[in-house]
Parts: sequence; C-alpha cells; structure tokens
Amino acid sequence: MMNEHKHDDHAPLVAEDDAGNLEGQQITNALQALLVRKGLISAGEITLEIQKIEAPGTHLGAKIIARAWADDDYRQRLLANGKNGAAELGIKVGEAQLEVVENTPEVHNLVVCTLCSCYPRSILGQPPSWYISKAYRARAVREPAAILEEFGLVLAKGKKIRLHDSNADLRYLVLPERPSGTDGLDEEQLAALVTRDSMIGVTTIASPQKTESN
Amino acid sequence: MRGYHDIGGEEAGPVPKEELPWLYWEKKVEAIRNLLGDATRRLVSLDEMRHGFESFGIEKYKRYSFYRRRLEALIDTLEIKGVLTRKELDAEVAQVKADWISDDTGTGAGSHEQG
Amino acid sequence: MNRGERVPARFEVGDKVQVLDLNIEGHIRTPSYIRGKSGKIIQFCGFFLNPEDLSVGNTGGPVYPLYRVSFAMKDLWSDYDRGEDDELCIEVYDHWLDTSKT
Repeated sequence: MMNEHKHDDHAPLVAEDDAGNLEGQQITNALQALLVRKGLISAGEITLEIQKIEAPGTHLGAKIIARAWADDDYRQRLLANGKNGAAELGIKVGEAQLEVVENTPEVHNLVVCTLCSCYPRSILGQPPSWYISKAYRARAVREPAAILEEFGLVLAKGKKIRLHDSNADLRYLVLPERPSGTDGLDEEQLAALVTRDSMIGVTTIASPQKTESN
Repeated sequence: MRGYHDIGGEEAGPVPKEELPWLYWEKKVEAIRNLLGDATRRLVSLDEMRHGFESFGIEKYKRYSFYRRRLEALIDTLEIKGVLTRKELDAEVAQVKADWISDDTGTGAGSHEQG
Repeated sequence: MNRGERVPARFEVGDKVQVLDLNIEGHIRTPSYIRGKSGKIIQFCGFFLNPEDLSVGNTGGPVYPLYRVSFAMKDLWSDYDRGEDDELCIEVYDHWLDTSKT
C-alpha cells in the first residue's frame, strides 16, 4: 500500500507479492519434505495442525461475550479467570492465561502488542493485518484516541482509555458493553452481534436496528 | 540498543486497513512451528522464533513479510540446533522448484506433497 | 537456581515501581517506552520462565514473578493531551523493576 507519510518509508511489509508468495510456498514445502525425511514430523500431523489453527475465530470469542452478557455470575467468573471461563464453554485457551477486560460506561479498553503480534489466537484465530502493522503497534500506545477515530470510534471526552500492551504471557480479550435494545435476544442472537474488532477494542457494538417491516 | 521491533510510541502513518488473506503456506509455517515446539519435540519455541527474527538485522527484517520472517526464523533456529543446514534446505528447494507444477489453487503439485 | 525454582517476588499489588533500563542483550520483552517510568502494580500474574532464557533454548532456569503494571499515559508521554486518567497496563518481570523513588 502506497503511503506518502515519510515515516513509513521503512515500515516492514506485512505481505509478500506474487513472487514472494511463490517462494514462500516452495521453501515451506521443501522444509516440510526435509523434516518428514528426518522423521521429525509427518505430513498428516501438519494437515491436522492446520485444521486446528483454522478452527478458532470470531465465533468463539462471540460465544464467550454473549454468555457474559446473559449471565452475570458467569461474567464475574470470566473476569476473575479468563481461561477457566472459556473452558466452561468448551473453549480451550492454548496461551498461558486469558485476561478479559471489561468496557464500562466509564472505561474503554484497547489491546495491542507493540513488540510483535501477540493475540488470543486460540480463541480468535489469526490477528487482522492491521493489528500487526507498524502503524497500529507504534501509535496505539501513544495516541489511542486518534487510532480509534481511524476506526470510526469517537469516545466521549470524559471516558477513560485503558490500554493493554500484550507483551508477555497474558492474552487479552475485550468484553464490549452490551448494546441497548437487546433485552429480548437469546445468547445465539447476542453472539451474532459481536465483532472481532470490538473484542480488540477498536470499535464498540452498535445497537441493532429494528428491521423495516413492509 | 533499541531493537527494530521495539516500536511502541514511534511515529507512523495511518493504520492500513486492507485485510490480507491468510495463505496456505503461511498456515503451514505456523503449523510446523507449533508441532516442532510441542512437548514431544521442543525444537523451536515461540521465544526462540521471536529472537530469530529480532536478530535478522534491519535489512533482512525489512525485506520479508510477517510470515516469511517467521519461516526464516524457524529455519535459522533449526540450523543453530543442528537439525538441518541451509545447504540441505537449499538443495531441497531446488528440487521443489524443478518439480513445480502450479495449478489453479496455487498449492503446487510437486511430488513432495505426497505422503 | 534450579530448574523451575521461584525467584522471590519482591513486590505486591499497590506498590509503586520504576522500570529499570537494564543492559540485557538478546530477546527482551520490556519495551523502551516504559524504561525509567514509574507506575503501580495492579496484578500479580504468577511465575513464568524468563523469555530472555527461553529465546536461547534455555528451559532449565528459574521461574520469575510477572506483574501487570499500570502507568498514567501522561507520565509515559510528556505531550499526552487526552484524559488525566488514561492509563496503559503492561506485564513486567520482577528483575526489571525497582521501588519507585517518586
């Protein structure tokens, strides 16, 4: 992506071009062949592991959020121990510990990993490209309000921002505020409202619109 | 000295919003790293991999994408551990390239995919 | 120290601490922007193997106390112009901390 800001002249690429991707494929296949021949790994294991890392996604995080909205006791258990809270729903957190940070009318949470790309992958899957970009990692801890505005979120002046730099052994999940107008919804319907970006903290969840009846 | 990955607080342009697809070879890099780092093997930990790409030097770091960096760091760590050599791997890559038949899915159909 | 032995925790929740600017080479997880800054311990996370050891394949070392430390954004950035109460929370290992002088 072309960017005229001179500070991005040396921003590392996030993706390869076609030639780079072809080379990536070839080297990866060669590495696999070599490791298989050395008896360190099998092709079957690799296929299964790929399926395993493809499996998590927004839907798992949304399930946790919806339960926390619907069940206040669960919410408190989840905030006390995120890993155990997820396990109650059959979601196995692979990282050392999960810290669920709750948005309230007073506080808005935002998660970043300035040093690399730490993210609750075992729940949410792979982080979005922007999360691992230099711009997000460098600026989120310095000017969070400006970053949020780039995502279309303008916080009230009195609202406190709480940033989490995910630099060591904990992984963070934002528990967004439950939007208004959702009292009648069941957990499945609540989960459908939850977005990945709201669980990172760059957006909030809007109240569902009533559909126009014809 | 401050590492080139240690960028919290630096100035930068707008956050690039374009979402890039997660390609099969990139998933395979993660899968291989996970397996090599598991309790039965303990050959490459996440910390070793991170140390790997933090040790590239700025030129190599800038040249490669996020997943290519992880692939290179994985290879570097395996070489340090005596599991393989770059020379062996290069020979294998040459073989893969020679056998390469690209198809529409882009996964390649070299004989090394079998088994 | 022996493998898995615990380095004693020197701090507890509520303590005011300052991040040291240690001259440790290699893979470290204490970013530059918090070095020399003062904050408050808000959580004790437990004992973990040191990534500085793990990054060079040393899994036989002791486990270190890890804390979550909260910093006021206005203390991290002299020109921070948003809320007085805006804060940043980050995990810091025991050996990177000292009691805050301020």
